[in-house]
Amino acid sequence: MAKDRKSIEVPELIPDSCIGCQVCAGVCPVGAIEMVEGIAHIDAQTCIGCGKCADICPAGSIKLEKKKRKAGAEKKVKPPGADAISRGIAVFVEVVEGRGADASWELVGKARELAGKLKTRVIAFVVGSEVEEVSREAVAYGADEVYAIDDPLLKTYLSGPYGKAATDLCARVKPEILLIGATPTGRDLSGIVATRLETGLTADCTGLDVDEEKRMLLMTRPTFGGNIMATIFCERHRPQMSTVRPKVFKLPGRDAARIGAIHRVAFEPPAGELPLVEDFIRDAASVGLVDITRFPALIVAGKGACDAESMPMLQQLADLLGGVIACSRPVVESGLLPYERQVGQTGKTVAPKLYVAVGVSGAVQHLVGMQGSEKIVAINSDAHAPIFNVADVGIVGDYKTVTPLLIEELRRKMKGEPGGL
Amino acid sequence: MNFVCCIKQVPDTADVKIDPETNTLIRSGVESITNPYDLVALQAAIDLKEKYGGSVTAISMGPPQAEQALREALSLGADRVVLLSDRAFAGADTLATSYTLWRAIDKISQDGPVDLVICGKQAIDGDTAQVGPGIAARLGCTQFTYVAEIIKLGDGRATVRRKVEGGSQIISGRLPAVLTVELELAKLKRATLPRLIDSIRAPVEVWDGVAIQADAHRIGLKGSPTWVRRIFSPPAKKGGPQLDAREDARGAVEASVTALFQDGSLALQFLKR
Repeated sequence: MAKDRKSIEVPELIPDSCIGCQVCAGVCPVGAIEMVEGIAHIDAQTCIGCGKCADICPAGSIKLEKKKRKAGAEKKVKPPGADAISRGIAVFVEVVEGRGADASWELVGKARELAGKLKTRVIAFVVGSEVEEVSREAVAYGADEVYAIDDPLLKTYLSGPYGKAATDLCARVKPEILLIGATPTGRDLSGIVATRLETGLTADCTGLDVDEEKRMLLMTRPTFGGNIMATIFCERHRPQMSTVRPKVFKLPGRDAARIGAIHRVAFEPPAGELPLVEDFIRDAASVGLVDITRFPALIVAGKGACDAESMPMLQQLADLLGGVIACSRPVVESGLLPYERQVGQTGKTVAPKLYVAVGVSGAVQHLVGMQGSEKIVAINSDAHAPIFNVADVGIVGDYKTVTPLLIEELRRKMKGEPGGL
Repeated sequence: MNFVCCIKQVPDTADVKIDPETNTLIRSGVESITNPYDLVALQAAIDLKEKYGGSVTAISMGPPQAEQALREALSLGADRVVLLSDRAFAGADTLATSYTLWRAIDKISQDGPVDLVICGKQAIDGDTAQVGPGIAARLGCTQFTYVAEIIKLGDGRATVRRKVEGGSQIISGRLPAVLTVELELAKLKRATLPRLIDSIRAPVEVWDGVAIQADAHRIGLKGSPTWVRRIFSPPAKKGGPQLDAREDARGAVEASVTALFQDGSLALQFLKR
């Protein structure tokens, strides 16, 4: 395939300032950059002139003739969002047992904030069966408009019908942004919708912002197992889609007096036979299952406090604060606590009011799951443990000595100072 | 029954880090492995083939070195492996990836209808879990995610157990279907020595964009709506006061509780209980 080489601007590398970090080689989509004696070398024949290397170079040593590049870029299709067709920030509201999921309301709250910056409206998509109440709730949480598809066929979540319903709503309403909670259901749904609409989708984001001028959503997510964060954007396709981890954003306040328009849209089921849900088995282990995301306080055992003998002590502290015991990954791997108690990248994302880390070192994978906590207390014998970097209060010492004293001190404060402080 | 497994070669993510000094990726010495979820998907397909007959084709999109993952698939029992490799595929996000894999599945189905496409739940480098549903949407077929058990295949239907919040769902639907699978679905078996030896010599088919009749605007970077704007280390937050309890434990605990409950609302919530 012969390429028109004339139209491609190959970036220029300034060898003296190259720090040999290889980041450019990593982002180059065509593998045109090789490291030669510790310095990046761009193969002009392979380069497609996308400019990713120039954008990402931390040393500013890759130069691309921006003028020509911009001119080239403008020839391309304008973002549909810029021509006043795609407007509004939509949130897909997940319905769980007849109620809107908190993860969805958190997104409605965030959408309100972003809508303020973009000077646009917040739209809720509500799909399910008997969802009038949920639609009104969507308004109470901050939606300006609700588009609801209410049909008995949508009683249980199924990929096909829900995918069709959400896709149809997007085609009708044309939002510039669509946010979906990164719950198991949300992740099942989002890939279908994005593919049908042929648009960009960024999974599992932990941060959202907008570029007001370009009306672009900036989506930040952990990648490579949480070791690295990436900010991703979708310039030329609408809607810009993102799934967002639960608990990343705060649950907004609810105002039952808010007014918003609720539009009912008829459901057009997909062609063909629908899958049949034959049974639902509640996990034997999930009877009395503890949902750690719902407690105001978590006492979190890490590798450093991973022994059965310490559990009663931690439980005592948890009881005192009205919380439960959670843990980091090594504790689950040791078999001491079940998986549903795990906080972090591969466990749950939590944001309690009070997070007490006991013997948790604070690996990045753990931190991404708990950084939204309101107050973090860390107890660790290693003064240099990374957990102290995120802790509001750190106690350096052996948790076996510290925890009983902490329980004692809390009891004293509770009794002695009934009015708080 | 014809099974297709989509597998991905990924960096061993535990090894990828950012240099705090230069804020850049440290890639040296990072090993490539086959995505663990995809190995389970492959094993499940091989187990199903033993039970129901048919053939297993493993496909992977990636650079030439992804051949290594496909040879592993051969050693584990795949009948046929295809590497989707083309410079033009590079830079693909999930939309372009699902398009490319779909084109390849379409080509494979010309040799006989594909009944089941099995993918890992997600890849451990990106964790997006989007490609499987993307393929299902393009095929317009049944989609079952988080599959933990395949209960029955037959009469043109698949019955599976899916892991959903708080339990398991038993669900059945028409074939063809795309499954994305959990680690518990299958137990990995070791490659036998003869298979291992054969896998080293066996040919690996390589298909490029032309071979799968891909639209050049829908593959690779061109076909990818999402771009990475920047990468960085997770933000380092500055911690609050650190109290040393190694000598005066009681004093440190008292001071820490006082510091903590300077926040009046927190004190109200936890101390007034």
